[in-house]
Amino acid sequence: MMKTVLVFLEQREGAIKQASIDTWNRVQELVAFRPGVTVSGILAGPASTLQLEGMLAGTGVIFHANDEAFRLYNPERYARLVAESMKRVDATSLFFADTVLSRDLAPRLSVRLQASLLSGCSFDNGRVDGAGCQRSVYSGAALASFAAERSLKIFTITSRPTRCTTIVGAQTSVVVLEPSDCTDADFFPMVRSITMHKGIRDVAEATIIVSGGRGMGSSGGFRLLEELALLLGGAVGASRPVVDEGWRPHAEQIGQTGKTVAPALYLACAISGAPQHLAAIGSAGTVVAINRDPHAPIFDVADYGIVGDVHLVLPKLIEELQDFLQKR
Amino acid sequence: MHIAVCLCQVPDTSSVISFVEGVIDLSRVNEMMNPYDEYALEEAVRLKEQFEGSVVTLFCIAPPSAREMLRKALAMGGDRAFLLSITEYLDTFQTASLLSRAITACYGEALPDLVFCGKHSTDFQSAQVPLMLAERLGIESVSAIIKLEATADSIKVEREIEGGTESLDVHYPALFSVEKGINVPRKTTIKAVMAARKKPVDLLPVIISENPYVTITSIKPLVREKKCTIVQDAKELVRLLRNEKALF
Ligand SMILES: Cc1cc2nc3c(=O)[nH]c(=O)nc-3n(C[C@H](O)[C@H](O)[C@H](O)COP(=O)(O)OP(=O)(O)OC[C@H]3O[C@@H](n4cnc5c(N)ncnc54)[C@H](O)[C@@H]3O)c2cc1C
Ligand SMILES: Nc1ncnc2c1ncn2[C@@H]1O[C@H](COP(=O)(O)O)[C@@H](O)[C@H]1O
Repeated sequence: MMKTVLVFLEQREGAIKQASIDTWNRVQELVAFRPGVTVSGILAGPASTLQLEGMLAGTGVIFHANDEAFRLYNPERYARLVAESMKRVDATSLFFADTVLSRDLAPRLSVRLQASLLSGCSFDNGRVDGAGCQRSVYSGAALASFAAERSLKIFTITSRPTRCTTIVGAQTSVVVLEPSDCTDADFFPMVRSITMHKGIRDVAEATIIVSGGRGMGSSGGFRLLEELALLLGGAVGASRPVVDEGWRPHAEQIGQTGKTVAPALYLACAISGAPQHLAAIGSAGTVVAINRDPHAPIFDVADYGIVGDVHLVLPKLIEELQDFLQKR
Repeated sequence: MHIAVCLCQVPDTSSVISFVEGVIDLSRVNEMMNPYDEYALEEAVRLKEQFEGSVVTLFCIAPPSAREMLRKALAMGGDRAFLLSITEYLDTFQTASLLSRAITACYGEALPDLVFCGKHSTDFQSAQVPLMLAERLGIESVSAIIKLEATADSIKVEREIEGGTESLDVHYPALFSVEKGINVPRKTTIKAVMAARKKPVDLLPVIISENPYVTITSIKPLVREKKCTIVQDAKELVRLLRNEKALF
């Protein structure tokens, strides 16, 4: 049984990840019905905790390892910090947002702490409880239920952002940690530097994704999607042939050999809807498809569809949206 | 240089996964090499070409039928293969533990200089085995790398993070899991396929001494319950989306 739950709060360049905040809030929802369960957080690296004001639901203490040594991800240092924090609060469950960092860190911790690792759990439809989780497998053809066999459990969570939740009566406090022993020594692998792609939103973190397939015709065809993404504050995604053709970078590929995404709105333009593509959008909120073939399988998973040529529909859509956003 | 590559089998995604009376039926599924493992293998073979005298050894835990897949991997440039033949399901922790024992048995205390894995297996997408294996072997590791530059005494790698890339310094011995985009795996030639027939595929004894950390309690068909509303034009679409919960 869960008694104390620890949530890992991730920062990059001082910005605390929205996905971590969402995870905290989801965990609070989960424990709301379990009296006696307390939630603690561990924030690794220098960041202003003012960003958290009004963002976190529930009650709990957040331990902040404010040390420069945690600014960049270091697997060994981070693993030690999390392991120490688990001990400090006597936690039996550890939650991460499913990110590049947690995918690197969680398996290490699973072995070190002899803890069950349940990764890629979705919180939608109550698919996570204290003992296990559900996740789609075989390219989205099946839903598997996993049960944790160890008393310590680690969860990584992929779930749609909690939109527009109003947070009332929340009470969280921050405790800054003393630098620990592991901050002076050199541990490898060591991140030497990070380079951010300026002005590009990552599909893995976007709330809105406008995605294009082979039917966009060329790299030039994606200008329409870039325009649309800019308008909506979203990211551009792509199917595999688009990446293989070199029209878009691999970082934008969505699918079984690309990224798994969970935006609130997924707009699939000239994408046929192959199982390998659909495998990665199962957790998307509203799905809209634009395709000239009325029998394209993408329509089977869409909420709204337009049958038509993207080169005609998209300019109209951009125009309508501009109109709407201006009036608002 | 001694290089180990861990390969697994996954259902070919074009084969249909069906259910018979609610129970998953994999009998009509074709197994193939996990796509990410092809990138892992290619990276290993490129290093073998860079560092003269290197040996690439393949490790695979799978049913006996995986021999065929290992033959293909040998044709792609592996030198020898070890198959740990099992038929039951192992969780990622058991898999990593078994691989770790096989690698230690093969190389002894010295360990291989490098171990390569795929980023994840495409059937369950756990992305757990590689770093669990590194932890068990007690070596440095980095997941999902997209670039690798090795010299005789150190390694620089890159990997994608959300919205950017991260560069890391690593020492030997090390384990990497490999992301798509790191290389383009070579096509096998007839000559390579013939040569692969002479390379050894050995069975290693399997002792499972760990209990699973995670068990599967059920696998059910995933029914997508969406019903698509076909709308006439962009104007209508914007009107409908506007009514949805605060999309934009
Ligand atoms: C091991 C493996 C892994 C894979 N991994 C991935 C992956 O990660 N991601 C992925 O996406 N795919 C993946 N695939 C490939 C997948 O099987 C499909 O081939 C791919 O998704 C198809 O991409 P597409 O829909 O863009 O192209 P197509 O299937 O060619 O579809 C193009 C669509 O555009 C429509 N169209 C064409 N012109 C227009 C127009 N002017 N206006 C409107 N509609 C138009 C057509 O009607 C058609 O439906 C993988 C395959 C394998 C074997
Ligand atoms: N049964 C196995 N035998 C050998 N290697 C494996 C096995 N399972 C997983 N791996 C390796 O671990 C990687 C990631 O697998 P997973 O953690 O299952 O997603 C694969 O790409 C392989 O390199």
